[in-house]
Amino acid sequence: MASKDIKVQVNHLTKKFGDLLVLDDISFNINKGEFVCIVGPTGCGKTTFLNLLTRLIEPTSGEILIDGKPADPHVHNISFVFQEPSAFPWLTAQQNIEYGLKIKKKSSEEIKSQVDKIIGLLGLEKFRNAYPHEMSVSMEQRVVIGRAFALNPDLLLMDEPYGQMDIKMRYYLEDEVIRLWKATGSTVLFITHNLEEAVYLAERVLILSNKPAKIKAEKKVDLPRPRSVSDDKFVEIRKDITDMIKWW
Amino acid sequence: MRTKNQKIRDFVLSAISVIVLIALWCAVSTSKPDFFPTPMATIERLVKLFEKPIMKVSIWGHIFASLKRVLFAIGASIIIGVGLGLIMGWNKKVRAAIYPIIMTLRPIPPIAWIPLIILLFGVGEFPKVLLVFIGSVFPILLNTISAVSMVDDMYLKVGKVYKANTWQTLHHIVFPASMPTILAGIKIAISSGWMVVVAAEMLASKSGLGFLITRGRDSYDVALIMVAMILIGIVGAALSIVFSFIERRLCGWMSS
Repeated sequence: MASKDIKVQVNHLTKKFGDLLVLDDISFNINKGEFVCIVGPTGCGKTTFLNLLTRLIEPTSGEILIDGKPADPHVHNISFVFQEPSAFPWLTAQQNIEYGLKIKKKSSEEIKSQVDKIIGLLGLEKFRNAYPHEMSVSMEQRVVIGRAFALNPDLLLMDEPYGQMDIKMRYYLEDEVIRLWKATGSTVLFITHNLEEAVYLAERVLILSNKPAKIKAEKKVDLPRPRSVSDDKFVEIRKDITDMIKWW
Repeated sequence: MRTKNQKIRDFVLSAISVIVLIALWCAVSTSKPDFFPTPMATIERLVKLFEKPIMKVSIWGHIFASLKRVLFAIGASIIIGVGLGLIMGWNKKVRAAIYPIIMTLRPIPPIAWIPLIILLFGVGEFPKVLLVFIGSVFPILLNTISAVSMVDDMYLKVGKVYKANTWQTLHHIVFPASMPTILAGIKIAISSGWMVVVAAEMLASKSGLGFLITRGRDSYDVALIMVAMILIGIVGAALSIVFSFIERRLCGWMSS
């Protein structure tokens, strides 16, 4: 892969809290427009990892480069979808989706066209003016995901966004996130501990070890979309990944 | 939601309690009507008040005079209480510096300020508004401080991820998230401000509902005292109803 196609470079990322080593020398690249899933056991330091990527906290050593330059939230667009729905309750669906664009002071035409596009992709036309308390948890999470994609982020981090959804809703939302990813061309880093979800979504899966977290293995998922969870190849890849992390 | 039957039931219950209260009033007052006027005498006094102004000010004028003082003072309390509260809730250093003063000033009842304020500012409009301000700023200030310091961390993190600057964070996240608690503070402030204005007017004034009470006392017009007291109650209740309506309009996004 030519280096110009690399969007995010993580080099020897290490984080210690006092003597506690949480992340141990993590290095990987994400290509432009790639959808990467990270799987890892609960408590393996993935929140720390994400906080480092959004620059909410500073690494002990190592660096994160976006487009070859040190990740800087004031230069790069980094979006984040938290595990719990985090739509602002005082804003309607549409206003929530507009939020990031307004903070970035985009022009009103740009905001309108981008928000209309996202609302169209989400099929939320009827709920534009609904407040979060009028929505189900899954719809609120969809609004939050729309808010994140609306910015056309350089890097979109998703922290188990469907952790609380039932399985049927998950399938639907997983297809939807793929639709948004394709339409916006964003680079996505998606964290989950559900292996099936990882194989369903990702072009590449990174497997983190227990604390201190390292990248234990990497698996390319080159299945055509839409994928079927019962497809032989799908099951095989899922089994491979399961074998890589069996000692959990 | 209350069903139609429940609404009728609630209305009947409140009507009964009002009727019982008036009946009690009749029972107590008929024995000594000079000291304690009957409901009928009170209504007559009210009608007379509409026809004959006191101090050349109509009854509406007196109500308006009191309302005006309260509204000016509440306006100032909102500006200062919410403004200072946002800063104190947001910045821990400012809070540490100012909080002890606030906590010491707050328990001083507005009435205790009256002599000092009269000495400093005389008996005009400003000292009355100032007293009401003293009586109403603290609930707004304290509610704002606690609302701001308790804004859900999740919302602040969203702001950080999108790199909102401090002003954007305060304007787009902290202020709207604090709104329900701030409005609750304003609601308390309005009712306490309304109590203080009456007290202030009783001490030195030529208009207002508090003044009517003093006038009633000085001219031994007990019915006038009763009329003024009832009006104070009614206007106070109306203020609170109007504000609840405003509150619902501003916080329509809240689930309940």
